[in-house]
Amino acid sequence: MDNKKKRPVILDGDPGHDDAIAWVLASTIDDFDIKAITTVAGNQTLEKVTYNARRIAALLHLDVQVAKGRNKPLCSDLIIAPNFHGETGLDGPKLPEPHLPLSDLSAIEMMAKVLQESEEKVTIISTGAQTNVAALLLAHPELKEKIEMISTMGGGLRNGNWTSGAEFNILVDPEAAYTVYHSGVPLQMCGLDVTEQALVYPEEFERIRALHNPIAETVAGWFDFFFIHVKSLGWAGATTHDPCAVMSLVHPEIFDIRDYYVDIELSGRYCRGATIADYQGKLGKEPNCRCVVGLDRQKFVDYLVEACSKYEGWEV
Amino acid sequence: MNKIPVWIDTDTGVDDAVALVTASMLEEIEIVGVSAVAGNTSLENAFRNARDVLSLVGRKDVRVFPGADRPLIIEGRTAAYVHGNNGLGGAEIPLSDAPKETGKAWDALYEAAQHYKGELIVCPIGPLTNIAIAIANHPDIVDCIKELNIMGGALIGGNITPCAEFNILCDPQAAEAVFRSGIRINLFGLDVTHKAFLNDDDIDEIISYGNRVSDLFRDSNHLLYEYRAQLHWEGICEHDSCPILYIAHPEWFEGYECGIYVETQGTISFGKTVSDLWTDYKFEDRHCKAFLNVDREKFTERIKEAYRSF
Repeated sequence: MDNKKKRPVILDGDPGHDDAIAWVLASTIDDFDIKAITTVAGNQTLEKVTYNARRIAALLHLDVQVAKGRNKPLCSDLIIAPNFHGETGLDGPKLPEPHLPLSDLSAIEMMAKVLQESEEKVTIISTGAQTNVAALLLAHPELKEKIEMISTMGGGLRNGNWTSGAEFNILVDPEAAYTVYHSGVPLQMCGLDVTEQALVYPEEFERIRALHNPIAETVAGWFDFFFIHVKSLGWAGATTHDPCAVMSLVHPEIFDIRDYYVDIELSGRYCRGATIADYQGKLGKEPNCRCVVGLDRQKFVDYLVEACSKYEGWEV
Repeated sequence: MNKIPVWIDTDTGVDDAVALVTASMLEEIEIVGVSAVAGNTSLENAFRNARDVLSLVGRKDVRVFPGADRPLIIEGRTAAYVHGNNGLGGAEIPLSDAPKETGKAWDALYEAAQHYKGELIVCPIGPLTNIAIAIANHPDIVDCIKELNIMGGALIGGNITPCAEFNILCDPQAAEAVFRSGIRINLFGLDVTHKAFLNDDDIDEIISYGNRVSDLFRDSNHLLYEYRAQLHWEGICEHDSCPILYIAHPEWFEGYECGIYVETQGTISFGKTVSDLWTDYKFEDRHCKAFLNVDREKFTERIKEAYRSF
């Protein structure tokens, strides 16, 4: 039966409500073999997001250890987002305590080990600052060929969110993003172009909650919390950023994906951390990024609800 | 009807000439002065072309003032590949015999702004060097100008670099000084001007008028026409006519209130017009309107009407 090999996956993030929902989605995908969970400072400090990652792993019964990554960006000061994610980085529903000890390996050692040991090429799903991924690529250039793709949530071709020019994940560590975008490794970017269209409305939180399983209820609770701040910014629904980086891998047909050469602005008064696309090929460079710029919102929500429904009878 | 006093600051190039022709025929506005600036072509060319085009359309009474021959800080650049060596794509028209103004663009603009007591609309359709110098020399000009209708920039993309448009990229420091001045700004960037094009039928129609002004259109646009064919554009964009026609027909344009500033410190984003229109983050000082759409049919009809009238 199992003649089709599963896709080895590393989840690298800074959970964070939308990272958490992305991981809930990822762990329902039969085709995925989740090999490692690695954490990076961003939405909250490294200690907090690592604890959150371990609690999420316990919630989802993920049989992988969490490896702690970089506690700060490559060369700038850490920015965190407690306004979105609360003091713990994952405020809201109560979660189980970690079921496995923290890995002795660092995130980068863990990623390198997974890549080295895997026969299949590995997909890295990066939903935080790209610090760990950049450090991996810098330290182990020989492992680039073992990477199937880096699927990221970050940036925005049209606009930023944290500043006028930049989106949060890229702004946290522009030099890391620059390293990733210039690495030559297949790269997919779910920027604000798509994630600000990936809205889940409050009535849809209720669709999820009504599934009455512990995971669905937790996801609905995360949406409730996350939406408090998002709503105050004028959004009619929760901008469901990080799940796009997972969903676009398994249901590419519901997304609008375009190949562009994209560069990262490292300097600038307004544009540090901006992802600049060369729409018209002014630079004469080959595209380095699959840019996800739109989606069928209804299908996105339907798939998200379906994923939550797979946890029927789940015990926490 | 009281006509709206308008000042045009131009690096008279090919599409600037179309804007001047169109402006001269709009009964809603009164061109109270024109200033020239280096950009599409040298200051010398821009100054001569502005004078000659106005003379060609019977408006040599409009005073034309010479402005800056280079950007504030960076090296100048021109666009001879579309505007030719003389700025008009090589087209030759009779020299204006109007007396040559020797006063400076920024002083003349300041005088006009004071004279019209807050009613003057200024349309910079080239690099913003003259306007920046005017603001630096006459800080109270900020309170005398009703609004700046600028052709420049783009909220999305660019035409010289991936994210910078020619007029702004020519002199980003000047542009940033203007955007930070507090003067009310309507920005007509590539977002709208790429939709403000004359298609093949429009171009043929203008040429078919066979008058001296449409002959200038024919003779000046050939480089642009060839350039456009390479890029497979649908037509020839009349960038510079957007801020002019907006004065007479604001209802044809769709714009949004926002803050806009100019990146002067970026590497790849150098010269980008950065807006907060779509961002959660908002600038404290938002005094701009970014235009994104135009009713192309009405826009082109009015330009054709101007050419037909000769």
